[in-house]
This record gives sequence, structure tokens and C-alpha cells, in this order.
Amino acid sequence: MRHTTSPRFTFLAIVGLVLSLLLIGCLPKPPSETGGTNITVYGFSIMKESLEKAIYPGFSAKWKKDHGQDVSFTSSFAGSETVTNQILQGAPSHVAILSIERDAQRLKSGGFTTTDWHTYPQKGIINKTPFIILVRKGNPKGIRDFSDLAKPGVRLIHPDPISSGGAQWSILAIYGSELKKSELQSSEPDRARALHTLQAIWKNVISTPASAREARTTFELGNGDALITYELEGLLMKEANAPIEIVVPQATIYSEHPAVVIDKNVPADKRALVDAFLQYLWSDEAQQAFVRYHFHSATNSAFDQAGKDFGNIQLPFAIDYFGGWDKAYPDVIEKIFRDQVQKTK
Amino acid sequence: MSSIVPTMRHVRGFDIVRPLSVGLLMFMMLPLVFLPLASIFIFGTSNGLDKFWAALMQPEAVFALKLSMATSFWATAFNVIFGLFAAYVLSRYNFWGRNALIVTISLPTAIPTAVAGFALLLLWGPYGTLGRLLTPHGIQLMFTAGAIILANIFVTFPLAFGVIKPVFDTMSRSLEEASATIGATRWQTFWHVTLPSLRGAIVSGALLTFARAVGEFGSTILVSGNLAGRTQTAPLYIFAKFNEGQIEAANAIAIVLALFSFLIFSVLFFARDWLDVD
Amino acid sequence: MKAKEKFVEEHRMSASSDKAPPIATSVIGLSKRFGKTGVLENISLDVAEGEILVLLGASGSGKTTILRIIAGLEQPNSGRIILHGRDVTELPARERGTGVIFQSYALFPKMTVEKNIGYGLRIRRRRRKEIRQTVDELLSLVQLEEHRKKYPSQLSGGQQQRVAIARTLAYKPEVLLFDEPFGALDTQTRTHLRREIRALLRRVNVPSIFITHDQEEALELGDRVAVINKGHIEQIGTPYEIYNQPATEYVATFLGAANILEAVVKEGFVETECAKIPAELDPKVYSAGDRIKIVFRPEDVLLSRTDFLKPGHFKLASARVEEVSFVGAYERLRVRLEQPGEECVDGETPYYLTTETPERRPRSIIATRPKPEAVAARLKIGDRVVVAVTSFTVLRSA
Repeated sequence: MRHTTSPRFTFLAIVGLVLSLLLIGCLPKPPSETGGTNITVYGFSIMKESLEKAIYPGFSAKWKKDHGQDVSFTSSFAGSETVTNQILQGAPSHVAILSIERDAQRLKSGGFTTTDWHTYPQKGIINKTPFIILVRKGNPKGIRDFSDLAKPGVRLIHPDPISSGGAQWSILAIYGSELKKSELQSSEPDRARALHTLQAIWKNVISTPASAREARTTFELGNGDALITYELEGLLMKEANAPIEIVVPQATIYSEHPAVVIDKNVPADKRALVDAFLQYLWSDEAQQAFVRYHFHSATNSAFDQAGKDFGNIQLPFAIDYFGGWDKAYPDVIEKIFRDQVQKTK
Repeated sequence: MSSIVPTMRHVRGFDIVRPLSVGLLMFMMLPLVFLPLASIFIFGTSNGLDKFWAALMQPEAVFALKLSMATSFWATAFNVIFGLFAAYVLSRYNFWGRNALIVTISLPTAIPTAVAGFALLLLWGPYGTLGRLLTPHGIQLMFTAGAIILANIFVTFPLAFGVIKPVFDTMSRSLEEASATIGATRWQTFWHVTLPSLRGAIVSGALLTFARAVGEFGSTILVSGNLAGRTQTAPLYIFAKFNEGQIEAANAIAIVLALFSFLIFSVLFFARDWLDVD
Repeated sequence: MKAKEKFVEEHRMSASSDKAPPIATSVIGLSKRFGKTGVLENISLDVAEGEILVLLGASGSGKTTILRIIAGLEQPNSGRIILHGRDVTELPARERGTGVIFQSYALFPKMTVEKNIGYGLRIRRRRRKEIRQTVDELLSLVQLEEHRKKYPSQLSGGQQQRVAIARTLAYKPEVLLFDEPFGALDTQTRTHLRREIRALLRRVNVPSIFITHDQEEALELGDRVAVINKGHIEQIGTPYEIYNQPATEYVATFLGAANILEAVVKEGFVETECAKIPAELDPKVYSAGDRIKIVFRPEDVLLSRTDFLKPGHFKLASARVEEVSFVGAYERLRVRLEQPGEECVDGETPYYLTTETPERRPRSIIATRPKPEAVAARLKIGDRVVVAVTSFTVLRSA
């Protein structure tokens, strides 16, 4: 054992250590803590840009003008189901923006949301986006529609329907598109063919990330040949000059995104602010902002004209094609996907 | 290497085993350790150092790093003191259930961190078994920096303890007996005799705990609520940036964490003489 | 006056200057059980001021337990400990004021020599100047001045022991307790050290209790020696007394090789087999016809070629030489006594015992001869000799 440290060195070392420890131990102040009131928003993954860059600043400015009060926002983003689970466990959220209405219903069943969002404009839907297919530049595998994804040798990235609302939309898009197309041909939706296509496509799935965002990032990093995702994601990637192409299917579903208030977490003195924020989401200003960030407007399809590169969908449908989420979830996601597709893989 | 170590020499001439073994080791470590580490550094700076720096200077990034440091610090402080206390009691005193207690302390390493985080939520969340008793008083334990510290404490619980207890076990009782017969009180003995002998174990236990806490993810993401700019630690921030597709920003912070861990373990290595148990 | 002498002088003056040295430490009626097993049984002993008392015993005899109880590291089931008139039995170790030197020395590894020595005063919150002065004196006393800044791991065993002693002397203990302090050292260092320590203890005049299993050490070191066997005291006495006048067979054989014979008390002599050895025994204790054992040491034996014996040597029997060994300073022989004739007294066969050979070797006697005699009158195996005895002690036949 060597004892080469001199007393002076030891003393200095201890002083230095204590000082640095004191510095480290101080909990940092959140940068967004600029005073004023705070709204906490839990949103599903793809909401991040539009909210942070346009909606928050827009609303803060408006509120400041009208009421002279500063508003700060805190957000947390993850897959829609994950966000819902967090809130159910008590995450301190005031507002939740979800990818599927089913998650809103879960919040209602849990007693966290008491206000019926159907009373809001557009039945609570703030924006929507159709589901499309992303492929590599040049479309080497020649994908033109959902059914092409069943071709052998195609490797598909598909988020996990358990945690991702986007994944559930995608399943509905595939299944519904086959139903719609068969309706065209024989005026009767061919369920067998739809199931068959779904099964064939699912065999090609090579990765199931937890959220739509994660799926996109995985795809971006070079995994897989194709990704079924929100058109919005594809447009964002094209904006960033990613080497991808957007394939617009003949028939596809529009995902509609509800916003709800987490009544349980909103104290009385904040009620007015939160309600105002929610209402703002349907304002022209906000809707146009959403379009700038590649969402389709929920209020006014005229705004969509401003959306560059929106795909033209021949046979669009929405959740009510399945009779709403109350029917769609048990019928398609559970009985068809979980029991007949996922299990057979 | 002194002459005590037998050199594996063949009968005469050049010894092939030595360079071969070393080479094989490096070769195996290349894909397993070196390349992943290198790729973080390469990728993080591939877009130019100014982008790297910009990503680092984001207020949310800076906050995340500071939060990680602070929460890890307090978790470490608690676990070192508690580990010291637990090691003392469990080493010196024999009582019914002692061995069960020792095993229990070591349990957190076996539990997946996500499970740990979830368990904490179920217990202390606003609707949790105990948490719901606190909510009426306005006390909210989860979704705060405090929750992160709590989760870190749980997950790194056995680390400092595991380093300190063996020192207690092998410490000669006669040192403490000598101190007692000389006239020292229990506390004086602990302060002047026991503690200095534990010096090395305490420091290495603390560094180990700290390094582990800084990198903790699975439990943190659950109990913190992952609020950007509020309760987002560095690993959570990296994950969020990755999800957003901002790979460079994620890498920038990852590089900082990697460098930091490297620093800690370098200190542990170079100071090992000073840290040596007597 | 030099520092060393000053320290010694202070100590001496605090000791009493009466004719019979007063008792410094008393142990009265100590007994200890571990669970059901009795370890100590009614142990009582005294240590006088300035005296060195050695507790001599085999492993497991309980001697270490006695020490630990005096130090306060263990509690007795009954008995009292008195230090300089103070009953410390109920006091914890730290309040007793004993100085313990552990077998491993127990020096604090992260403190220098001077910090170790000054520890006792530091925790008593003495002034820095006083501590420094005392430490200087003690370093000079144990001659370790050049090593004051060293750490225990950098010292030799003997040096460490001196630091351990100095460490206890710093706070002027009531009694020093040494737990087999020479156990970890080689023979040469042992011998050298025990002489040094004895000299040191003489100088500082602090009563000390030593524990050892080495009888040579006990004899050389102690002013008095207490032989402990299985938790009780066999005998306490000066080294001369316990060696030459052992009270029990155990003491006799523990202190060295012992030749033991059964005998019968007669008027004016003791009779064993064929020999009649003149002896004056205390009539109050022994009466004619009592069966006794007589004990004599190898050096008390004379081997002669002829029946002609000098005065003071009493013939025991004839014998044949069985074994001869050369042990440096003297020669060691084992002889086998011849069978007694019909006219001899019928008794138990004589035997000898030593610490190395616990079994009795019937009809054998151990004798030693100094080198000059061995050279002058060479003996070899098979030679016929006459065995004579020069002195012996009596044990009650138990």
C-alpha cells in the first residue's frame, strides 16, 4: 500500500471534491420555467413538431394578448397507448392528444376524463392524416398498394399494435382497403380475402417498434423495405430529403386524432385556461398550422389546399366504416388481427 | 509483472502464446465493445463539430444532463450511507433473518428496471396503494425529480453495499477491540478506526453507484412521466431524440454520457492503489 | 534528564515504595461458561505493582478468556475484577484503563506510528502539545524515533509490537495485558524480544499479565507464573517454585520433562521399588504408609557406571541405555530400568512424562548430562548404568 499523498494535496482534493459535489447536487431549474401558469400536454408521438413549433407559441401569444398572462407548456410524447397508460397511472397531464379514440375512451373509463369530447367541434378530432406506404427511393420492390406488401422478399416495419395507436390504424387501413376494393368489384366486402392479405403482409414484418415515431426512425436508419405510416411522417421525411418515396394506396383510412381534457388533473383555477387551449386547437390559426405540419385539417378541407404534396386517395374511409372504435377494436384488432393473424405468424 | 508470475515459455525461443492470446482478446472485443463505442463517437460528430456543439447546448439537453447528475448524486449519497450502515449491522450482528435480509438487499439487481419503475408507480403513484393516502395532503411523489431519485435508489441499492460489506467481513475485530480498550467510544472507534479502513470501498462503491444511476433508463421512464425539460434525464432525452429522428442530437448526449462513464472508471482504475483494501 | 528517563521516573514515583509491593490487579472467583461448557472455574489471582505475572497453559485452557475478561472484552458469569482498588467488573472495556497488546498487535493500519501511539490521548482530547510530548517520550523509550512517520505495514513484527506497547503506555494504563505477543515470531526474534520487553517493563514499572503456552518463555519472563489447566489454576508461584516444586503432575510435566515414580512414605525416607531415598517430609502432611509420587527432572539424574556414588546422590535402580541424543549444550539419554528383584516393593511401574509425550513410558527415565560429563564418560546404547537421583519433589498421589 502506497501512501504518497501529501497532506496538502489531500486537503485540496477534498475541498475540490466537496465544492463539485455541492454543484452537482443542486437540482437544475427547468428551462421552460419562465413563470406564469403551466399546461402539461401528453401527446402521441407525431404531434411533437406541430405542437411545439406552432400551436404552443400561437396560443401563448393569444392568451398573453387577451389576458396578459404568461403561459408555459410542458410536454411528454410517446406511443398513444403508452401515453394513455402513463396518465392512468397518474402522470400529471392536463390535456391528452391521442392517436385513437379508443385511448380516449380508456381515459374516460378510468375516470380521468369526464367531459365528453364529442361535444367539442368535430367530435373532438383536431386533425387527421391518411395512412400511406413509405418505400425506398426508386421503389425497388415495386410496391403500389397494400397487397404488394405481401410479396415474398418484402421486409416491412410495423409498429406494435399493443402500444401504438398508429399500428392499430395501419391494421385497419390494410384490412379496410381490401374490403373497400372488393366492394368495388363485387359490391360485397370480401372478408376472407382481406384476412388473407393481412396475414400474408404480417408474415413480412421484421420489426415491431413501440410507437409510430420509433418505427419511422428505424426505417430511416435503413431497416426494412417498407413502412406503413401516417402521410405526415412521410412528408416530414421528404422535407428532410430522406431517400424515400410515398406510395398512396387506392383505398386507405384516415386516422383521426382526438384531444381530451384530463378533468381529474385540472384544478378549478386552471379550468378556463385549459378549455381555452382546447378550443384554440380548432381555430383557423391552429388548423392552418396543422396543415403546415402536414396534417389534414379537421374543420375545413379548404385549408388542405395549402398542403403541398398531399396524396390523392381514391377510396378514403374512416373509423365509422367499421362502426366506430367500439366495433372496430374487438372485431378487427382483437378477433381478426390478434386471434387470427398475429397468432399464426 | 514480477518474477512470481510464471512465464508460459516453450522449451526455447519465441513464445507464440502470449501475442496470440492478446490478439485474440482484442479481436473479440472489437465487435462487442470497441466498434459500438466508436460508432457513437463517429456518428455523433459526423455532421461536424458545430452541429455537435449546438445539439449539446440545447437548453433541454443541458437540463437533462444536469438533472441526471443531480438525481444520481442524491441517490448515490443515500445508498452509500445506507450501504455503510447496512454492511455494519449485517456484518457485526447475528440475528434471526439476517441472511434473508442480505439476500433481499441484493434483489434489486435481479429485477428488470421497468418492473421496478412500475412497482414504484403502483405503490406511490397518485392512485397507488400508499400514494393515494398522500394525495389529499398535496404530496405527489411520482413524476418528479424526487421520483427519479427514489427509482435510482432502488435500482442501485445493492451496489455500494456489495462493495463495502466484504471489507467489513474481513476486517479484523481486534482493531475495534483495541480501540475500545484504549478508551474510545463506539462512535470514536467508528470514525477513527473503521471508517478509514473503509475509505477505498466507500469511494469505489460511490463511483459505481453513480455511474449506474446516471445510465438508468427503464425505471426512470416510468416514474418520471418523461416530461421534457422537467423530469427528463439524459438517457430519457437520448431516447426521445432518437424517437424524433434527431439522431445527431441523441448521439451528442450519448457521447457525453460515455465520456463521463469513461472518466469514472478511469479514476477507479488509476486510483486503485489508494482504494485498495488493507 | 532525557525524555525516556523522565517518563520512566514519573511512573516509578507513582508506584508505592513499601516493602511488600501492593496489589495492583485482583481477579476474584472468576468463572465463565459458554453455553453449557464451562470455560473458567473460580479463577483468583493477584498481580502486584510492577510485577509480571505469566498465565501459562495449553490451547483451550482458558487463559485467553481470563485476559479478555480482565480487559472487558467479555463478561464473566461470576467473579470480580479489581484494578488499583477499583471494582471494574461492571464497567465497559473503554472505562477500565487496561492496555491490551493483541497477538496481531492490532495497530491501526491507516495511521502512522506516531498517530497510533497518540491515539489514546487524542480520543481523551488532550492538548496537542501534551500529546506531542508524550509521543516523543514513548518513541524514545521504545527506540523507534526514526520510524515515527511510517505505517504499520512498513515495520517488522518486533517493531510493531513495540508500537503496540507504546500505544498503551501513552494513557498510563492500570495493567498491561499481553495476548501471546510472541506467537507470530521466529524463535530467535522471540527470545531477543522477550528480553527487551522484560527490560522495558522493568523500567516503566507497570504491572503486566502475559499469556503464553511456551514454558521456557514463562519461566524467563514472569516474576510469578500461574499454570492454567482446563479453566482452573493448577499452581501459582515463582518460576523456581513451579519448576522445582510442582504441586501437581500436570504442572510438573507442563514445565518440562518429568520423571515420576510411585513411592511409599516411610520414617525418614521414601521407598520406591528397590530404592530407599532419604527424605524429610512434613509430618503434619505426610504420615508413614502414605502413597505418594515423587518427581524429578532429567537434570536431577546421575548416570554412573559403578555403584560408587558421591554423597547427595541416591541410587534408584540399574538400567540399560536405550537412546542417546545430542542437543547442543547437553546430552539427553533415555534409560530403561531393569526389572526389580523379588525383595523390592511391589508398586506401579515408574514412568516419565514430558510435554511432548503425553503417554507414560513405563520403566523409562529421561536424564540429561552436561557436555563435559558426556564427553568424559561416553555412554552408548546398551550400556548398563546405575541411575541415581540428586533431588526430588513430592506430589500427593491423587
